[in-house]
Amino acid sequence: MYRDARLGVAELDVIVLVKQVPNTAEVKIDPRTGTLMREGVESIINPDDLHALEAGLRLRESHGGRVTAVSMGPPQAMDALREALGMGADAAVLLTDRAFAGADTLATSYTLGKCIRKLGRFDLVVAGHQAIDGDTAQIGPQVAEYLDVPQVIRATRLEVRDGELHAERTHEDGVEAVRCALPALVTVTREANKPRYPYIPRLMAAFDPNAPIKTWGPKDIGADERLIGLKGSPTQVQKTFTPKLEKKVEKLSGQPAEMARALVGRLKERRLA
Amino acid sequence: MAVWVEKDDCAGCETCVEACPLGAISMRDGLAIIDEKCNSCGACVESCSTGAIKSDAAAAKADTSQYRDVWIVAETRHGRVRPCTLELLGCGRGLANALDQRLCAVLAGKEVKGFAADMAEHGADVVYVMEDAGLEEGRTLPHARAITDAAREKKPAVVLFSATPFGRELAPRVSRRLGTGLTADCTELGIDGATKNLLQTRPAWGGNLMATIYSPDSRPQMSTVRPGVMKALPREPGRKADIVGLKVNLKAEDARLQVVELKKGLRKKVDLTEAKIIVSGGNGVGSKEGFKLLEELAAVLGAEVAGTRIAVEEGWITADRQVGQTGQSVCPDLYIACGISGAIQHRSGMAGAKTIVAINTDPNAPIFQIADIAVNADLFKVVPELIAALRARGDEC
Amino acid sequence: MNSEEMLRRTIAKFVDNEIIPVANDLDEKETFPRDLFKRLAGMGLYSIRYPKEAGGSAADNTHFCIMCEELARGSMSVAAFTAMQCLMGTDFLFKYGTPELRERYWRPAMRGEKVAAFCLTEPGGGTDLAAVTTTARKSADDVVITGYKTWVTNGPVADFYTVLCQTDRSKGPKGFGFFFVPRDTPGVVVTRKFSKMGTRATEISEVIFRDAHVPREHQFGPDGSGAALLNSKLEEIRVMTAALSLGLARAAFDASLRYANEREAFGRPIGKYQAIQMKLATMATEIEASRLMIYDCTRRMDRGIPAMKEASMAKYFASEAACRAADECTRIFGAYAYSNEYPASRFYRDTRFLLYGGGTSEILQVIIAKELGL
Repeated sequence: MYRDARLGVAELDVIVLVKQVPNTAEVKIDPRTGTLMREGVESIINPDDLHALEAGLRLRESHGGRVTAVSMGPPQAMDALREALGMGADAAVLLTDRAFAGADTLATSYTLGKCIRKLGRFDLVVAGHQAIDGDTAQIGPQVAEYLDVPQVIRATRLEVRDGELHAERTHEDGVEAVRCALPALVTVTREANKPRYPYIPRLMAAFDPNAPIKTWGPKDIGADERLIGLKGSPTQVQKTFTPKLEKKVEKLSGQPAEMARALVGRLKERRLA
Repeated sequence: MAVWVEKDDCAGCETCVEACPLGAISMRDGLAIIDEKCNSCGACVESCSTGAIKSDAAAAKADTSQYRDVWIVAETRHGRVRPCTLELLGCGRGLANALDQRLCAVLAGKEVKGFAADMAEHGADVVYVMEDAGLEEGRTLPHARAITDAAREKKPAVVLFSATPFGRELAPRVSRRLGTGLTADCTELGIDGATKNLLQTRPAWGGNLMATIYSPDSRPQMSTVRPGVMKALPREPGRKADIVGLKVNLKAEDARLQVVELKKGLRKKVDLTEAKIIVSGGNGVGSKEGFKLLEELAAVLGAEVAGTRIAVEEGWITADRQVGQTGQSVCPDLYIACGISGAIQHRSGMAGAKTIVAINTDPNAPIFQIADIAVNADLFKVVPELIAALRARGDEC
Repeated sequence: MNSEEMLRRTIAKFVDNEIIPVANDLDEKETFPRDLFKRLAGMGLYSIRYPKEAGGSAADNTHFCIMCEELARGSMSVAAFTAMQCLMGTDFLFKYGTPELRERYWRPAMRGEKVAAFCLTEPGGGTDLAAVTTTARKSADDVVITGYKTWVTNGPVADFYTVLCQTDRSKGPKGFGFFFVPRDTPGVVVTRKFSKMGTRATEISEVIFRDAHVPREHQFGPDGSGAALLNSKLEEIRVMTAALSLGLARAAFDASLRYANEREAFGRPIGKYQAIQMKLATMATEIEASRLMIYDCTRRMDRGIPAMKEASMAKYFASEAACRAADECTRIFGAYAYSNEYPASRFYRDTRFLLYGGGTSEILQVIIAKELGL
């Protein structure tokens, strides 16, 4: 818990939100059917979330305190939390239950928010800017809103000074330095830091039955069943379809100079050059 | 029950007990308790001075018939309305027509009244104007309060934000506060003919899959809309709209985040989303020196230089020039992909380009699947020739 | 995911991102990469075999071999010095060293602050104990070590050595012992590093002991236990070398497969030609066979079942398979394999390291035959 630095105690309780995602870099498209080939695609910690963990760990290292990693997902998301412990998190909570499944960002933010409340006081929630499977970048702000704390989105640098969060974040046309009261929520981008590799003894210890990972369901966090999972999700998927990739491709051939001339010709026909 | 008291935060002040129109709140052990008479109206949420009362009110089924009109939330930057706001108006106009409801522009800021005419001339029927010194550009908390309050009062059926960095951090807060659904970064919006639900289509899986999302039971229906995809309507000079001022009730806590400074010089403004021509490089470019060649080509074409994640990670270009899932989404008239294999993360950010030229030595590179013109050759041989050919052409003119 | 998969994935990520991109450069520089050595310590790799109470990961043979295999996939040099630091360089120190020695040397070694080396081979021979002529003579209050050790992995950069010495010629196999000798002991002379064909980022040299005096508590284990201690590690050393071989074979295969898909000849990728396909099919098959042999062996060992025959077979087969894979790799790469710009040449040169460490194929065949009752 954060206390005034002037009192000589300045430990930070940091909560890091972690999502396990399929490694989309490995997802390929079947060239014949145009559908996703998801078989055998490994699950990884969402890349931005690794930077969130690193940011949380560095804050703890300079201030003392605790880092707790929280993830909602299927039971195998335990792997992501083990990795978080391997990197140095003090404890982890896996929110897993059939009732949590099918959640959109609203239901997810409720679930994560409830869990954070259940964990007690916190000074900072750190999350990755966005997940590579959903790309919504909505969870951070929605959790911040649920917890009624200010947010710093897309932070590239952060430090805690005099009981306040000082951060820099990227903007469309510059870098913005902000100051923000604690508790707060921060999302970080990959420019924020270079995540450490797990420390193998800690990583292996995370497989012990007594590793500090709690598994919580809706009752454990006092969640209203109507507000979680598919039931608590106002948005529904009506349909999915693969965008038509097939275009008429014109292949240029010949020597580089010939191709270049042909290309200029085509660009001119299309009024592009 | 979708309204509850966070016990840790309750100060025991009893304000909510008086605020509740149904008498559903009582005190026990010095803390507020909400009982089953609660119909989740949210009056207590507003009355609570410590923010201890939370609501997910609208997550329960909303009476959709009470919600009317299409709202677009205007965004200003450096004192000007952003082009994407006009695109939202163009898109919202179509939706409003399909619903046979009004298109309303929401203008919130320190001094924004002057833009109301712009909104009208680009398609708005109503312009809600909210002015307050606290509504500085890019401040999420005060804007979230202003827009949420307005939406609670007016009950729009649809609220659209631009999927700009600001829109994407503001909209989720508003959706959470209203307890309604939000669909990110939509590239297509439409109205279901039968149900009148908003159909929100967005790319998923890095653009390999499109998903159409809707919110049958919750209102308002909210989306952020990818800039550069929708078309603004041509200005219709003299077109009028009802201009309605709305009260803004900011609170001290809305100023919990302060901007200390904006270091503009640190980053040259690179707005790839508005570029007409982009010359982009990937792994095949191989080095910072390699990108010099691309810069030369870009100079001849009047284009912006961009690149893939690898090019950024290798330090060949700056991060603000990254195109793709974790960079910018672009839709220029011409995109020249040099030495880019075309991983889905990259394609998702540029597949919308009108003409794609791909130069790559690997004939099986996925980029060729989406290219219009395929040049299966070494970029270091073709690009110099291309520059020469373009220059020669320039001399002819 | 179980802990084996998690370990493999974690090491593999480090190897892919941090080792493979620099592996050729490390090889070219022919210098022990101290930064990388420290970074591996930062991940806690050196203590992987040691108990949790000591700060380790309590890895069994299966976990340890997974780590070795993955590191070797990136760089045999890195795998070689890591294996030295994890196993023979520190094992006896941890088990038989005094608490004071452990504190002063073992702990810093785990943190990557001190480098360990193991002195076994002498100019007169390696596997043959009778060829060991380095002696340890007990005097009234210390032990005097005299002799000449060669092929000492990490020799030039090590801070301490675990040295096999003859203690009493008359006792035959019971006349050997291991002794701990810090580098700064007067009388310890480290020669120049060897110029060698492969594993060039691992430094190897001779270490000469000219009446080096060490305290008596620097003896590991009871009197005459040297041969028994060494024998107790042979299974581990062999299966570990097999795992290093597997890693190298995989690296050669991965590079070959990628190249076969990219390189074109007569208008088609060369992987479309049967001649290349047959090479890749054979490589893949032998890699799979190595994998099955190695991890069958480690699982036996992890259950406490003697596995000298299996370990010898695994090392014999996997190292020869790695040689064949690297050889085929240089053929698939064609003339480019001849250039040090490509990894094929490094794989080819590094295979030789596998043929000698942990027993030559010829010795292993003799051992296997002996296990067969011949």
